[in-house]
Amino acid sequence: MSRDMPSPEAERLHERFNAVWGNPTGWRALTVVNHTTVGLRFLVTGALFFLFGGLLAMLLRTQLALPGRDFMGPDLYNQVFTMHGTVMMFLFAVPMMEGLAVYLIPKMIGARDLVFPRLSALGYFCYLFGGLILVASLFLDIAPKAGWFMYTPLSSAAHTPGPNSDFWLLGITFVEISAVSAGVELVVSILRTRTRGMTLDRMPLYAWYILVMAMMIVVGFPPLILGSILLELERAAGLPFFEVARGGDPLLWQHLFWLFGHPEVYIIFLPAAGIVSTLLPVFAQRPIVGYRWVVLGVLSTGFISFGLWVHHMFTVGIPQLAQAFFSAASMLVAIPTGVQIFAWLATLWLGRPVYHVPMLWLVGFLVIFVAGGLTGVMLALVPFDWQVHDTHFVVAHMHYVLVGGMFFPLMAGLYYWLPHFSGRMPSVRLGRWGFWLVFVGFNLTFLVMHWTGLLGMPRRIYTYPTGLGWDWPNLISSIGSFVMAIGIATVLLDIVLHFRFGLPAKENPWHADTLEWATSLPPTSYNFASLPEVRGRHPLWDDPGLPQSIAHGEHALAVIDHGRRETWGSDPLTGQTREIIHLPGNSWLPVIAAALIAGVCLSLLTRAYGLAALFALTSLGVLLRWSWENGAHPKAAPDAKTQPGDPPLHSRTCDGPGLWGMAVTLLADGALYLSLLFGWFYLWTVAPDWQVPERAGFDQRLLLASAVLLAVATFWQRRLLVRLRQGDARGLAGGLAGVAGLGLLHAVLLLWALLGGELAPRQTAHDAVIAVVLGYSLVHGLLAAVLSALQGWRVRCGYVGVETPYEPLVVEQLWYYNLGVLWIGYFALVLFPPTWGAA
Amino acid sequence: MRPLRSPYNPIHIALGLVIWSLWFVALYGGLSVACRVAPPALSLGMWNWLNLLLGLFSVATVALLLGLARWSWRAASRAGKRSPERFAARLAATVHLVGAVATLVVAVPLLRLPPCV
Repeated sequence: MSRDMPSPEAERLHERFNAVWGNPTGWRALTVVNHTTVGLRFLVTGALFFLFGGLLAMLLRTQLALPGRDFMGPDLYNQVFTMHGTVMMFLFAVPMMEGLAVYLIPKMIGARDLVFPRLSALGYFCYLFGGLILVASLFLDIAPKAGWFMYTPLSSAAHTPGPNSDFWLLGITFVEISAVSAGVELVVSILRTRTRGMTLDRMPLYAWYILVMAMMIVVGFPPLILGSILLELERAAGLPFFEVARGGDPLLWQHLFWLFGHPEVYIIFLPAAGIVSTLLPVFAQRPIVGYRWVVLGVLSTGFISFGLWVHHMFTVGIPQLAQAFFSAASMLVAIPTGVQIFAWLATLWLGRPVYHVPMLWLVGFLVIFVAGGLTGVMLALVPFDWQVHDTHFVVAHMHYVLVGGMFFPLMAGLYYWLPHFSGRMPSVRLGRWGFWLVFVGFNLTFLVMHWTGLLGMPRRIYTYPTGLGWDWPNLISSIGSFVMAIGIATVLLDIVLHFRFGLPAKENPWHADTLEWATSLPPTSYNFASLPEVRGRHPLWDDPGLPQSIAHGEHALAVIDHGRRETWGSDPLTGQTREIIHLPGNSWLPVIAAALIAGVCLSLLTRAYGLAALFALTSLGVLLRWSWENGAHPKAAPDAKTQPGDPPLHSRTCDGPGLWGMAVTLLADGALYLSLLFGWFYLWTVAPDWQVPERAGFDQRLLLASAVLLAVATFWQRRLLVRLRQGDARGLAGGLAGVAGLGLLHAVLLLWALLGGELAPRQTAHDAVIAVVLGYSLVHGLLAAVLSALQGWRVRCGYVGVETPYEPLVVEQLWYYNLGVLWIGYFALVLFPPTWGAA
Repeated sequence: MRPLRSPYNPIHIALGLVIWSLWFVALYGGLSVACRVAPPALSLGMWNWLNLLLGLFSVATVALLLGLARWSWRAASRAGKRSPERFAARLAATVHLVGAVATLVVAVPLLRLPPCV
């Protein structure tokens, strides 16, 4: 510990807490689930992937430094630039930002952990394994090579026949399990686990940014997950969603990709802006100007960013009026971003800024990001976009926005929180050298690249002839990129050396206002021995003695003799505490589940479908076992006793975090389903050679019967759970078993409809989409039936009942969701086509 | 947790921009479908039934958003000073306003361009 020696009383309290919350070592370190460790693992792994992606960038710049070079052939060049973009976007930018949020959010909101710690661990291992699978493809010379946005038909089996594109589609989908799971738990944690008194208007701005980012991930990633599934189905099984000759449309891929891809830019930018909004007031030594305006700006940016995706498709032949809608929205998004920039400038103007190393990176961010934003407004103008589309101008703009908008604030944040990670301070001299080298190198590389683009150099060409005016700008860009690499090496050296030679950090070394600095440095695995009440937006400025009083157990939930990991469950608006959330401890289950899912991924890559099914079923079994250790289970919270005056345990109420987690997960699921419906209606409207078979393809009466059966089961379950809420659990176990039986019957009818008709999903995109819609409902129906059967069994075991009514209420939401989805599917597949002229 | 209809339920903070998003999807989807099913004659320029319909739809959306903004703002003035309820209702009112402005800005091209070219 870097601070003064703690008192014996605090030391004893720490030992008791550590017995419950402590991390094991050796192989058992793989079982650790607490957010501090998982967050750091995300950050370190993300940094390693960044170095790999950076190395690829160096190879690209070496190739392009001079005209006519043969350092790399075209095939390898294609693999390298595709992997550079993919690694930087999917394995560095998003996971880094999520990792930092996973590490910081509970500390900032005064909680002891994220609300679903095992989900955090699962997310991390999915990210790690998925990333390794993807990166391994480059060493095997079978890496993706169709560009990081994998446009069809280039990425389709006809034009990229090897496993290259499969690595991207399966690997990225695997990694996205991590992104979405982190998104879900960040949303629920921020809304439901803030410490007492932390009302919505007292929440740190960083938490607002992460809330919006996490919601954007929940809604924004599913279109790409769907697109990847459809394209993999096309490549592996011949379902022609994107093939014109069989009724598909390659533009559908572009829509699905950019429905994700444009919000993705803001998913990366917003947490970075959150770092800026956290650090600037600290170094300006005053509260941020316009807290509510900044919150408004963040919300507006998040939403409007979903209305821009077509500006990546201005050259594909969309009507002018539609282009104008997206052009207007693209310019509109600059306004809420501008509001935040003016709030930062006003804070600097009115404050007394001190220029420590993190501030250098913040100023660098302001300069570079504003420049990138301005070229963004230029690109939002359709005629200009047509001129520079697919040139190096776009590459330069993208790097100004992403490196300026994400990397610079991230570096500021790393320097700022480095004492938190290690308890030591970095070197100021090395830090300044690192910054200036990166800043100069970056601008040398990418400022000049705008010019190369305006001179007409297309992106993604592996070499070019001399005499086109591109020689000098390319050489300057390459030299700049190496200067930037030296700068990054300097920063790395500083970080490595500081662990050994850095001065021990004082308590709250930057005089910050937020609660993460009230932990010890580095923090313990439980963050706070007692949970403080917050009375303002700046708890550490209001009460600088908080770190001591927290460590001495002077605040709430300071009792640990029960052996449970506990944190507050609070009201989303008022921050009043409503229940005590008990959290699961360390477990092998997340790493085992992730390893099995990796098995699914590898089996699919090698086309060993039987093995893939086996892995999938085994991983489902592990996940069900995971869900079994909940509520009143002996490994969770069999004893419901709490301290006098404290609220009940969440598993003894009707409103715990699982309900919220399920709701947010279903939001993501719903986004995926809506994307599928979008695909269906899009193909009906736009596909150039849409083909509707003359026969129906499946028995529509079976679908209707299945939907009716599902409605009966859902309302039967509702009746059972209304009675449970009223304290009557008679017949609950049998009832839930009956509901599960009806659910199973409904799934059987769906399977019959799917397999018993004349659907020919390999022949037309029409039948292929119908097969996916039916398959989606089938999988969901089976899952709901299994979960309800499991709940019935838990009733018999005594884990669910009048005192512990919570879990079936979580499952109930899935049934409502399935019911809605199936009836919408019935409308889309059966009732809609006749209105569009189909038989 | 307050009921959904309460202006102090935090869900209303995002409502204005959710409505804007739905309007945007309907606008783009409606335009695409109409251009496929019954494209107005090119000679009519921007004064045609489709632009008129989309324009009326946009005006109705703006009116709805302004009405909700007023509802939230009045609720904010009823809440206690410095209370989280006041913060949430005021924020919701301004988000509704942002939604209304965003609707107007994105709809402006309806006054300038024919729909299906």
